[in-house]
Amino acid sequence: MKNNTWLILWALFATTFLTTSCDTEEDTPEPATAYEKIAEGQTETAHLKVEVYATAALTTGYNPLYIALYDEAGKRVEQADIRLMPLMEMTDKKHAAPAESPSSEKAVAGYFPGAVVFTMPSGDMGTWSLTVQVQANGQTDKVTLPVTVQEPATPRLKSFVLATDGSKYFVAYLQPQEPKVGVNDMEVAVYRMASMMDFPAATDLTLELAPEMPTMGHGSPNNVSPVHTGQGHYKGQVNFTMTGLWYLHLTLRDTSGEAGNLYFEVNF
Amino acid sequence: MAKDMKTPFLMGSLALGMWPALAQQQAVPADSVRTIVLQEVAVTTKSHSQQQHLQEFYQANRSATTEELIARMPEVSFIRRGSYGMEPTIRAYSPGQVSVMLDGMRLQGACTDKMDPATIYIEPLNLQGIEVQTAGAGSMQAAAIGGSLNMKLAEAELAGAPALSGSVSSGYQSAAQAVLEALRLNYATPTWGLRASGTYRKSQNYRNGKGEKVLYSPYEKANIALNAKYLLEEDLVLKADFIADEGWNIGFPALPMDVGEASARIGSVTLLRENESRRWSRLEARLYANRIAHAMDDSARPDLPVRMDMPGLSRTSGLYVEGSMAPAPNQQLTLRADASSSYLEASMTMYQPGQAPMYMLTWPNNRELQSGVAAQYTLQAGAKTQLQLNSRLQVSRFSVTSAAGRDQLSVFGYGQTRQQFVIPSVSVQASRVLYKKLKGTLSGSFNGRTPSASELYGFYLFSRFDGYDYIGNPALKPEQSLQGELTLSWQEPRLRVQLTGYASRVANYIVGAYEAELSAMTIGAHGVKVYQNEAYALLAGAEASAVYNITAYTQLVSTLRYGYGRSAGGDPLPMVAPLRSVSSLRRYFGDRLWVQGETEMAAAQHRTSARFQEKPTEAFMLWHLRAGYRLETEKKVWELNGGVENLFDAAYREHLDWGQVLRPGRNIFFQASMAF
Repeated sequence: MKNNTWLILWALFATTFLTTSCDTEEDTPEPATAYEKIAEGQTETAHLKVEVYATAALTTGYNPLYIALYDEAGKRVEQADIRLMPLMEMTDKKHAAPAESPSSEKAVAGYFPGAVVFTMPSGDMGTWSLTVQVQANGQTDKVTLPVTVQEPATPRLKSFVLATDGSKYFVAYLQPQEPKVGVNDMEVAVYRMASMMDFPAATDLTLELAPEMPTMGHGSPNNVSPVHTGQGHYKGQVNFTMTGLWYLHLTLRDTSGEAGNLYFEVNF
Repeated sequence: MAKDMKTPFLMGSLALGMWPALAQQQAVPADSVRTIVLQEVAVTTKSHSQQQHLQEFYQANRSATTEELIARMPEVSFIRRGSYGMEPTIRAYSPGQVSVMLDGMRLQGACTDKMDPATIYIEPLNLQGIEVQTAGAGSMQAAAIGGSLNMKLAEAELAGAPALSGSVSSGYQSAAQAVLEALRLNYATPTWGLRASGTYRKSQNYRNGKGEKVLYSPYEKANIALNAKYLLEEDLVLKADFIADEGWNIGFPALPMDVGEASARIGSVTLLRENESRRWSRLEARLYANRIAHAMDDSARPDLPVRMDMPGLSRTSGLYVEGSMAPAPNQQLTLRADASSSYLEASMTMYQPGQAPMYMLTWPNNRELQSGVAAQYTLQAGAKTQLQLNSRLQVSRFSVTSAAGRDQLSVFGYGQTRQQFVIPSVSVQASRVLYKKLKGTLSGSFNGRTPSASELYGFYLFSRFDGYDYIGNPALKPEQSLQGELTLSWQEPRLRVQLTGYASRVANYIVGAYEAELSAMTIGAHGVKVYQNEAYALLAGAEASAVYNITAYTQLVSTLRYGYGRSAGGDPLPMVAPLRSVSSLRRYFGDRLWVQGETEMAAAQHRTSARFQEKPTEAFMLWHLRAGYRLETEKKVWELNGGVENLFDAAYREHLDWGQVLRPGRNIFFQASMAF
């Protein structure tokens, strides 16, 4: 068998070569979040400094906001009850917008997270301001900060009017923010316009999701229509079979069965 | 028969070894093995002297491509989508059920639309021969249920004194205004040898039997092959092979796209020890790797709704060790162990002005790791009986290797994309001389095959054949086949007749099932089909062939085949060729000139698959006329070959041709070669 030693060695070498030459599997890196300061100001009594942060410039639609508070000594305030009150002032009228004030009185990593759904961009029509009302250390205080809202490249807020009672609804797009081919979490938030100043969350709607690739005329399989999870947020799943331009068609029904139809564009 | 062969075989000569000699001592080829010999075999390799070479029947046309050559074997059919890049199948099996190997090495096409079967990257000039094995014998090298096709590479030679030899040839075919240029050089010394060959082909749009140009049917390719051989010891040889094949603008009239570029690099290193006096009379170990890059292209096509790019990549590396020995004088044992890794990826990008490109993975990056052990045992029990046992155990692991690929497949709820298959196969074959000149061979086999990467992971792969998008299914079970085959041959000095019948039942038959809930991706597709295992399918058929040496100078060769397939539901299987026959009559005029008349007949095929909306095909009959002239001088051999194929310019198509595209009409061809 000595004659065959070379053969065995050679085969072993080859096996090693084969098994080690395999590709390493890819891993997706965690994206790092960086906050961008949108506005800052002293409260009316000048006891607190309020800073407003966002992940990007404010745009029409759902904007997560992060409020940071500092006392006179410049120390971070970690305990406060904060209310966010956006206001659009136009020449002849003014109106508010849907807002989610921080739900907890405790700051998370120094910030109080909330959100505002701006319903239109700033411009010749009017200007936006954001009033931050703070209740801390037994005192109530507030600051009104001018903010600029831009129209995003892709519309992220849609509205429809119910035929039965004429009430207007706003539907804001939250997710997917970083769409990928595959399964994506889908999230929208729906608000009813009760008055010019009151936009309660719409919590009893039934949503139906149908993605479509308009240039190809096809959809995608196994989507999960968003269902209500709280505070007017509806969560589901949208599947993309390729990159490109997609329409996410949503049909919204209230208990009377009346429907609003709209779609969001996703282009990636 | 050797007596009848006035013309000795030289380089480039072609013959078919169909009848193993009776009751000989050394490894008798099984009846289920058919070989096309393309190059005269060097003395150091296995001798084919017992095989009685069928005269140049398979030498249809000396400018023929590898696929055209193989197409003349009665067991083989080709699925044709264009004039080049046809997909070989054996009998009524589908191409996925057949293993196509290059000299025992795995080579995977890189096209999701099967436009590049392994055969297109190999030129006949690269090959020593082509071996088709049916029944269980085919599963020695790979798990397959429909048999195997193995292309044996040509080798460098050794010689007593340093010698340079070679050949140069040039050919032309009128139907496609195709040219072929080929060059081969051999340099041989007592201890080493070098063989280099190059081939260039260019073919225009061909003319069909109605006189029309068939658009999108041209192709162009070049092939370079190098082989080196070095004698390490008296009986130990080190060999190295390298093939580079490049194809451009390969047209596919039956498909919505063509191939822009197809490029293959194939290499291997082999150690071979052959010595009859050793315990292991033959030992071979080989390490190989190949890479194929393939890019589909639609730039030649007008008025497409969307432009797209579809590149594909295939990388395979592997090794095998094979050894043969004779445990007793009347026994032969061959053992083989192999392992390989095949990586595939393919994507599609569609472009729409003003929009982000639409990109998806049509083959999510995936890899198959396979390893197998196989044994073949042959027992010569007396002068009249031979027994052969073949077995193989293969383990294949498939996985999707990228997160993007797994994400994409999760759209269908496919959480688990890893799959492991264990494929056992066993076959038993018994041959016996039944009565005087009548020999019978009966074989039974049980074997299986893994699903292909497309069947497991394919992502909206459009099939022009039935107009559906196909989606893979990682939960597929392997196909398993139970097959029986009976061959009867009658052999006389001047007449040989062989009849083969086979039947097989394929369990877990893999087929696309319409899924109404899924919407098609491809514009114009009828819907989506997802690969599923069906209970079973039945395949059966028969082949017959006869060679009659009417006189020492006249020979008649005739082949006939029929295939039948049906699904568990009773529906005919698609892509089953009808009754087909080729007959040729060749006459030699002296030693230099021969003339051959040939007819090719196919019956109509009306047993079509309703599920695939397959269209019936009409019967046709073709006449061909071929001739050759050969002149030997002291140091050179000159050869001139020519003829007319489809003499009466019939407008016809074969049943396995996609898209109702007619085949070439009258084709005048000639080829001149000079060997030294």
